[in-house]
Order: sequence, then C-alpha cells, then structure tokens
Amino acid sequence: MNRRAFLNWGTAGLVALCAGVGVSLGAVLRFLVPSVFYEPPQSLKIGNPADFPFGAPTFLADEKIFVFRDRDKGFAVASAVCTHLGCTVGYLQSDQRFHCPCHGSVFGANGAVQHGPAPRALNWFEVTLTRDGQLRVDKDKVVPSNYRLMV
Amino acid sequence: MNLIREIWQSIVRRDPLSTDKGKSELVFFNVWLHVHPAKVKKENLRFKHTFYLGFITFFLFVILLTTGIALMCYYRPFPPQAYQDMKDLQFVVFMGPFLRAMHRWAAHGMVICVFLHMCRVFYTGSYKKPRQFNWVIGVFLLLLTLSLSFTGYLLPWDQLAYWAITVGTNIGSYAPIVGGQLRELLLGGHSVGEAALLRFYVLHVAVLPTLIILLTIVHFWRVRKDGGLSRPVWKLKPNKTETLVTIGAPLEIAPLKTGPASKDKTYGLMEVVTGKPIFETVTPEEEEDAVFSYPYAFFREAIALMVTVTGIMAISLFFHAPLEELANPAKTPNPAKAPWYFLGLQELVSHSALLGGVVAPALMVIALLAIPYFDRNPSRRPSDRKWALWLFSIFVVANLVLIVVGTFFRGPGWALIPPWVHVVAGAE
Ligand code: HEM
Ligand code: FES
Repeated sequence: MNRRAFLNWGTAGLVALCAGVGVSLGAVLRFLVPSVFYEPPQSLKIGNPADFPFGAPTFLADEKIFVFRDRDKGFAVASAVCTHLGCTVGYLQSDQRFHCPCHGSVFGANGAVQHGPAPRALNWFEVTLTRDGQLRVDKDKVVPSNYRLMV
Repeated sequence: MNLIREIWQSIVRRDPLSTDKGKSELVFFNVWLHVHPAKVKKENLRFKHTFYLGFITFFLFVILLTTGIALMCYYRPFPPQAYQDMKDLQFVVFMGPFLRAMHRWAAHGMVICVFLHMCRVFYTGSYKKPRQFNWVIGVFLLLLTLSLSFTGYLLPWDQLAYWAITVGTNIGSYAPIVGGQLRELLLGGHSVGEAALLRFYVLHVAVLPTLIILLTIVHFWRVRKDGGLSRPVWKLKPNKTETLVTIGAPLEIAPLKTGPASKDKTYGLMEVVTGKPIFETVTPEEEEDAVFSYPYAFFREAIALMVTVTGIMAISLFFHAPLEELANPAKTPNPAKAPWYFLGLQELVSHSALLGGVVAPALMVIALLAIPYFDRNPSRRPSDRKWALWLFSIFVVANLVLIVVGTFFRGPGWALIPPWVHVVAGAE
C-alpha cells in the first residue's frame, strides 16, 4: 500500500469511526427520551357545569387547576402551577389573588404577576363543552386570560 | 505449623515488619496499600496540614456505599411503594432506622467535608503547579457529590423529597435553549413522577457512585504522581519559590536531557530521562524527614476512619433521618425548600430564576475550574497571596450566608422571618 492509499483509507476509516460513535451516542440519547409518557392526560373531562358553584373558584387538586364560574361571564380555568418553579399556588378569596407558598409570588385575579420572582402570568386553559354536556379542559391549549365559556 | 506459615508467606510474601525492608514491602506488594509510596514525609502527615478532610470524605463515601447497599435490599423505586418501604425501614426492619440515619447523616457529612476539603486545598495553595489538574478532578468530584446527594433526596418519596426535587429540577429548566429538554430527560416526563423516581434511583445507585469511584481512583493516583501531598505552608522557605519540573514538558530551569540513542540497546525510561522528577524538589535535610508509610501514614488514616465511623454511628443513635407524609403533588408545603446545600441557590432564585439559578452557579463552577490556571502566582506562602485568600474567603462566606438565610430565615411564602419568631403556617 502506498502512502496516498494509506492516507485515504486512514481518513475514510477515521470518518467512519467518528460517524459510528456519533450515531451511537445519538441513539443512546434518543433511548433516554421516552416514546410514551405514562402521565395523566393533558385533556380531561372535569364534570357537569352544574357541579361548579358561582363565586369562589373550585380547586381540582389532582389536575392542579382552578375552575372559575361567573354568573354573567361563564367558565374559565386557571393553572395552579406557579410559573416560577412549579409549586402549587393557592387562591385567597379575601384579596382575590393567587399566592405561591414557595418564593412568595403573587398573581392578580387575571393571573398577571403582581409580586415576587415569577417571570410570567399563570396559564389559562381552554375549556369547552363536550357532546354529552360535560366540561373539557385542554392543558395543551393556553388561552388569553379573558377567555370565557358561556354555558 | 509449617504449613500455616507457608500459607501466610504465600499471601503476604514480605519480610517481617520489624525490618525496614519488610515495612517497604508491605506497601510494595499490596495493591490496596499502593496508594502510598514506601516512605512519606513526616511533616505532611500533621493533622493541621490537611485535617484529614480528604480521607474523611472518602471514608464517608465508603459508609454510604455499605449502608446504601443494605438499604437497597428493602427499597423498591416506584411510588407509592417507595414510601411504604421507608415506613418499613423505619418501623419493621431490624436496625432499619439506624441504617437509614447512618446513610442520611453520612451523605450530609460528605457534602460538608468535600467542601471543607476544597477550602483546605485552596488555603494551603495546594492546587498550584504541578497539582492544577487534580484540583479540576476535585471540582468534578464536588459536583458529583452534590448530584449524588440530590438524587438520593427524592427516593423516600415523601413531601420533603417531592417538593425539593420539583423546585430543584425547575431551577435547571431556566437554562437557555436546552434547559427544558434537560429537565425532561432527567425526569423522563414533564413532572416529578414514576419515571423520575426510577431515573433518580438509577443515577443514585449505579451511575453516580461508579463515576465517583473512577474519579477518586484518578484523584488518589494523581496525589502520588504529583509528588505526594504538598508541603505544609509552615515548611515553605521564604523568598524561594519551589522549582517544579514536569517530565516531558521541560522548563527553562531544568532542561530534559536524553542520552544518545544507540542502535543496539533499548533504554528504559529511567535511563533516558535525566531531568528532575515531577514533584517539588526537596533539600537533603527535608529528605531525612521521610518516614515509612507503614505504620506512620496508615496508622493515622486508620484513626481517621475509626473517628469517622464512630462519629456517624453516634449521631445516628440519637438523631433519626426525617420522614414526612407521602408525597402529594396537589399540596405544596409552605415554605417548600430545596436540600440545604441548594438553599443558597434557592435564595438567589427567589430574586431571579435565570440569574440566580443558571448564570450564577455556572459562573461559580467555571471560576472554580479556572482557579489553578488563572492564579499565576507561584508562591504558596499565605503572605504572598493575600488577594487570593481574600477573594476565596468572600466566596466561602457569601455561600454560607446565603445558605443560612435560606435555611433559617425564610418562613411561609419565603418571607424573611428570623428563626426565633414563631409563625402559624397555612394561612390559606
Ligand atoms: C469525593 C470527593 C473527594 C475525595 C474523596 C478526596 C480525597 C482526597 C484525599 C484523600 C487527599 C489526600 C490529602 C487530604 O486528605 O487532604 C486529597 C488531596 C487533594 N484533593 Fe481531594 N478529594 C475530593 C474532592 C476534592 C475537591 C472538591 C477538590 C478541589 C476542588 C480536591 C482537590 C485536591 C487536591 C488539589 C489535593 C492535593 C492536595 C495536596 O497535595 O496537599 N479534592 N483528596
Ligand atoms: S415556585 Fe412560586 S414563587 Fe417560586
């Protein structure tokens, strides 16, 4: 084998080796990303509109959402997950604001940050009526804070 | 009788320990005792030079391995069994609470000691040439120790665990571009759940301990190859900085000479390299300071081991590891705090998540890694390095203050409340 052939083959081999290692690493990384998430569904039925009282919001603990029902404006659903570091916020009826226990963020009635380190307003989720007359919340669909569902 | 002596001889293969040769051979012929050369400098063994902090850190790690393996026999890494198993360990398993406590307190101790060890190395200037890279390895060991502790924090699956990890991993998601994906990869999902517990378990019992063991081997090997421990600062000669030579990278001080190669003779490394060895040069009277590693060094280390083990056992007799209620994703305890060594971070994060949670820690790690290359001052004498000592002390004090504030001065809603004021939590 002459010098030129040796270098050519050598380079080709090296490139192949790097490619092989690269592909393997990529595959390992992809392996670690779950293809299926065994997590609670993002879109869920929460019950009949009549189940929810007017006035103070209903807190659904498992879903981490607040369901607001207003006599003339209708339904709205707010996320209870603080946008700072993910603690569950509480709603104080007395001052009509959301309070986060972790680092003291306070959100106004429309979810906007009023105080504390939270970088963004609380999310509001789309709420629709299913064919069988139930409320459905879709946590993948974030809507403006003035979104309302009239029933 | 002769047979027994023969068997013993076949195992140890050394001369009697009453002879100098026997003392050297004890080390030479034993793979485990090879961490030391046959002789070490007596002054380097003084408690006030190292406080044996590196060894104590290592021994705590050994305690963690043994108690950890014992705990694994009773632990299933799925919710809610994980919590059930903790309850079992607490109330049913013989010596369960004691083993759990030993594991927990050794873990906290290791975080403290690895940090103190780093401080000792800094204050004695022991990261300077030729030990720069061992400092870098050390920084990785520090990060691995923190990760080991952090992943272990989730395993009891109680309220404390659940929310500390929720808050802790959310800090990471503020990293630009990759942050969110990194968190998802770590949790194996979008929130702390079954997948996260399993992944943390794998990291905690397999990946991280293996990495720590591997790096510790390199760390110890480097201590020897860098010429043993650095000289204690009180042994340093004034005005004369140490002359250091690295094999293969000759300096102006001592050029590397190689003998003329002859065609028909192969040369061993010893014959070819005539430059001075890698370690600090010592004067003849210092050379006389050398003592046999056995018994001088090993004896002291055995004492450090016994003090560490008895200390952890004593603490574990009186203080149990905490266990709160079962993890409840719907109810955040108020206040929700990360593990104490991350409370400084959480304190910063409570002001700005990006600056405090990503930028500041990243800069801190980069600064630590850069120290031995950035600090060009060759002298190790404290009087020659006032600036370095001041800067590092500010770093240490700032960390401590933030951790103390986060731990003791933050009440419900992360409000600034001194620990001596009693508040009724749960106003909502
Ligand atoms: C798992 C963690 C660690 C273990 C088990 C460990 C263990 C040790 C041991 C046993 C020694 C011998 C002397 C002594 O006891 O002080 C040593 C020396 C040393 N360590 Fe560590 N260490 C760890 C982490 C670190 C860290 C975080 C740093 C710095 C960032 C570091 C830097 C050094 C250096 C530079 C030396 C040489 C010091 C000298 O020659 O005086 N190590 N380590
Ligand atoms: S998680 Fe709500 S303020 Fe930090």
